[in-house]
This record gives sequence, C-alpha cells and structure tokens, in this order.
Amino acid sequence: MKNIETMPKCWRRKTKPHLFCSGCGHAITLKQLGFVIDELNIQKDTTFGIDIGCSLLAWDFFDLDIIQTHHGRTTPVMVGYKMAKQNKVSIAYMGDGGGYAIGLQSLLHAAFRNDPITVILVNNENYAMTGGQMAPTTLPKGITTTSPEGKPEEFGPGFRGPELIRNIADKSAFISRVTVSKPEVVKLNFKKALENQIKNNAFSFVEVLSICPVNWKTDAKGSFTKLKEMENYFILGEVKEVTDD
Amino acid sequence: MIKDNGKITVLLAGEGGQGIQTIAKALVLAASNLGFEVLYIPYFGVEQRGTPSIAYVTISKKKINYPKFDYADIAIVLRERALGQVESYITPNTKIIFDSSTIDHYKLPKISVHKLGVPANKIAIDKKVRRSYNVLVFGALIHLLGLEKSEAWDSISKQLAGKFKTKEIKEKNLDVFDFGYNVVFEKSHFSKPEFASKTEIKYYKNTERSAKIDPNLCKGCRICIEKCPVKCLDDSEDLGVFALPVPKLDIATCIACGKCRSFCPDGAIAVEKIL
Repeated sequence: MKNIETMPKCWRRKTKPHLFCSGCGHAITLKQLGFVIDELNIQKDTTFGIDIGCSLLAWDFFDLDIIQTHHGRTTPVMVGYKMAKQNKVSIAYMGDGGGYAIGLQSLLHAAFRNDPITVILVNNENYAMTGGQMAPTTLPKGITTTSPEGKPEEFGPGFRGPELIRNIADKSAFISRVTVSKPEVVKLNFKKALENQIKNNAFSFVEVLSICPVNWKTDAKGSFTKLKEMENYFILGEVKEVTDD
Repeated sequence: MIKDNGKITVLLAGEGGQGIQTIAKALVLAASNLGFEVLYIPYFGVEQRGTPSIAYVTISKKKINYPKFDYADIAIVLRERALGQVESYITPNTKIIFDSSTIDHYKLPKISVHKLGVPANKIAIDKKVRRSYNVLVFGALIHLLGLEKSEAWDSISKQLAGKFKTKEIKEKNLDVFDFGYNVVFEKSHFSKPEFASKTEIKYYKNTERSAKIDPNLCKGCRICIEKCPVKCLDDSEDLGVFALPVPKLDIATCIACGKCRSFCPDGAIAVEKIL
C-alpha cells in the first residue's frame, strides 16, 4: 500500500514540490509528458529543451538531460541537437510567448524543413511570468494587466498557431491542439507526437491550452470555466492537411 | 508605545495571501492620519511561488530622513517559513509577535527575549472567520502600539472596502478586530502549534481501494476537488506547502477512477484499486 505512485517515474523527486504556482497548467502538461516518457521507456534517450518564461521553471523538473536557451530559440537549439545526435529524442518545450511571438520564425522554419523534433507549446493566453500581460493568443476582449478594458480590436483575434504551421508543414508532420481539461487526450497526443519523431523521423507539434489561476485571478472552478471559453474559440484535435478536393 | 520625538520600526512577515501588505498599508494610513511621519516599504517577490511576503514600516514623530530599515522594534511573524528572511532584523530588544498556533516558540531566533504569542489561526478557525485572520492580528498590533482604535478601524475598513460586500461581513470583521484589540498575549505558556503545516503522508484504505495524499507536495489548488466525479474529496483542516488546505478523501464513496491523479499538478494524490 505504501508504494502507490503519485508521480511519473521520470520526475525528479528531490525537486518536488516544484517551482510552478499552485494549480499551474504547465505541471499538468508535464505530468502527462512524464507518463508518456515512462510508457515509451525513453527516459535515457530524451533531451528536453526549455525556453524563457514560465516554461523555464521546469529546469529541474525531470530526471532528463535539459537544455535552456534564449527566448524563442528553443526550437533551433533542439534542431541542432538532433542533427548532432540523431538517436536521441529531442523535445522543445515552450510557452505561447516563446513560440508564437518572439520565436515564431524559428518554429515555422523547423516545420517547413520537417526537422525531426517534437515541439510542445503551452498556451495560457498571457505572458504569465512577468505578471499576465496581453499576448498574441489572448482572446478578443480578453482582460489582462495591459488590456484592462479588454483586448482592442486592432490587436487582432486569438492567434491560431497549429493551423498556421499546418499550411507550410510537410504531409508527414503531426500537428494537433489539446486541452488540459482532458489529460488523457493530452497523453495520447504526446505519444503520437513522440512516435512520429521516433518512427517517421518527422516534425510534430502539440499546442496545449492551459490554465493560469494566478494571473487570471481565478479559483479551480473559474479557471476551467475560462478554459472552456478557449476550447470553444480554438478547434481541438489533430489539425489535418487541407486537400484541394 | 511611541515616545515623544521617538520612532518605532515594525516588520511584518508571513505567507503570500495572508494579508500582510493590507494590514501594513492600513497601519501607515492610520498613523499618518494621526499626525505621524510614516514610511512603508513592501517587499515584492514571487509570493505565489512560495516566497514570504514582507513589509517594512517606520512610524516617527520627527521627519524620517533616511529610509534604511536596520532592525525591528516590533516583528510580526505569521508563518514559520518567513522566519529565515527576518532573522537579521531581530535584536534582543525586539518584541516578536508570532502566531503560536502555527509556529513552535522554540523555532524563533535564539537572540529574541520578548516573545508574544497569539494563537491567531486557532482563534480564526474557532470563530469561523478564517479569512479575517489579518484583521485580528491588526487589532492586536494597534493595541500594542497604542494608536487610536477608531482611526485604525477606519483605515482597515477603507483598505478592505472591496471585500466588505455586505453589512454582515463588515460587522463580523469589526467583531474580530475588537477581539484582536483586547487579546491577551501569551508570554510564557504558549499554545501548541497544532495548525502548523502537516508533514505526515495520509493513507486511506478499505477492502477495495487504497489512497495516498502527501501534504508535503500539495499546494492546495483544489483542482482534484473540482474534478472528482463523485465529489468524495473536500478541504481538510491540515495545511500544505503554501499553507492552503490539503484535501481529505472519503474512501467509501471513492470509485478509484484516477482523475485526481492525472490532474494533480503537484503529484500529491493517488488512488489505486486493490486487485
């Protein structure tokens, strides 16, 4: 009875409780990733790249090799790593600021070249580490610290990343959008994404719609109500290639 | 307590979310309205990720020429984890007011002589006013400083105006404030620290399933309580890492679906079927 496992095996136990805030969606995402790494038994072969922003708080989260780099440059660093060590599983982990704002061109070109890495992007629709400023992913009329009266129209709608990447990515690339309110689906998609890298040697991208109770100033129930709004705005599931016919 | 031409320095420290900055602001506001020179330096950090919240307050009859905070005449410590951060400001003359229901008095700095205990957490839970915890401490502090009571109440109710949504809440808080003002400090026989953060892992078991909740990991986000399909989880009296309530489990109604385990961001809970 004493050996009930509460966390994935590849989590580093020494560093728990971890550095994320209470109720953070990052930790829910990383838990599912941990389960997948356990399931595929690739702990020794995985290298994990993290970005600036809240994602960098995962620097001691896993018992894996971890690289941390400049803001938005996680994708090219992990592409370079994969070029040098082709037998390793290379995962780039970032937030929506790193992936869709400052690092968008790096991400697009990795998808364009069909580099065999897995990109996991956690979208909590604000710049959470610096105090919840407006991001490209903020929904129209979304209230943040820099848009107290709601996101103005001239800043555009919520950023649809996976659809954009799909347009230029190769046929074999796996691209999908999931939400932390369904952890089982997150797990399944991570598994597909990693297998796409390992077996098909192709690019894979998973966007995770996440919660940020501290900056949204919500409790558990309120966070998931707000997440529901995001789920209704963005289309969930695998983003398939649009064919002409 | 403030002598003519003298000044007094007050240090307030606790967990983020306990309302340290609110009472510090109310204190300087009240003192300023009473004709004192005041200085208030809040310590801003990443409270939500677990650093203590600290406020440095100076109240003086003369003009304050230099803002440096060297030592505290009065130090208020409401959580054990904050002790490490305030130790360097404590001298043998410092009066330490501490929450004796969560902090063991042996854990206070060895140098301290004047220890004043208030079992604030216990009183707040007994009186069912858990959220008015800081108002109680504020009342006790005002009494110790010898500031005017009505002025102090005005300033704290101004600070908390957004929270006093109904008249009932306001009256309840006034009651707590009065209680805090008249509270008798424990000077030698301190209360037991029965509300300190728990460190024992809790196990639940019946013939069909077993469960484990680890308060050393739980940050009290309540996601498991929200996501449980049969509502067998609820807040308990025990406190976790961030001094927020750890959930308790009703093992009889639990169906061991494992939702709590897959959601828990901290890896603090797990349920298993016994095969």
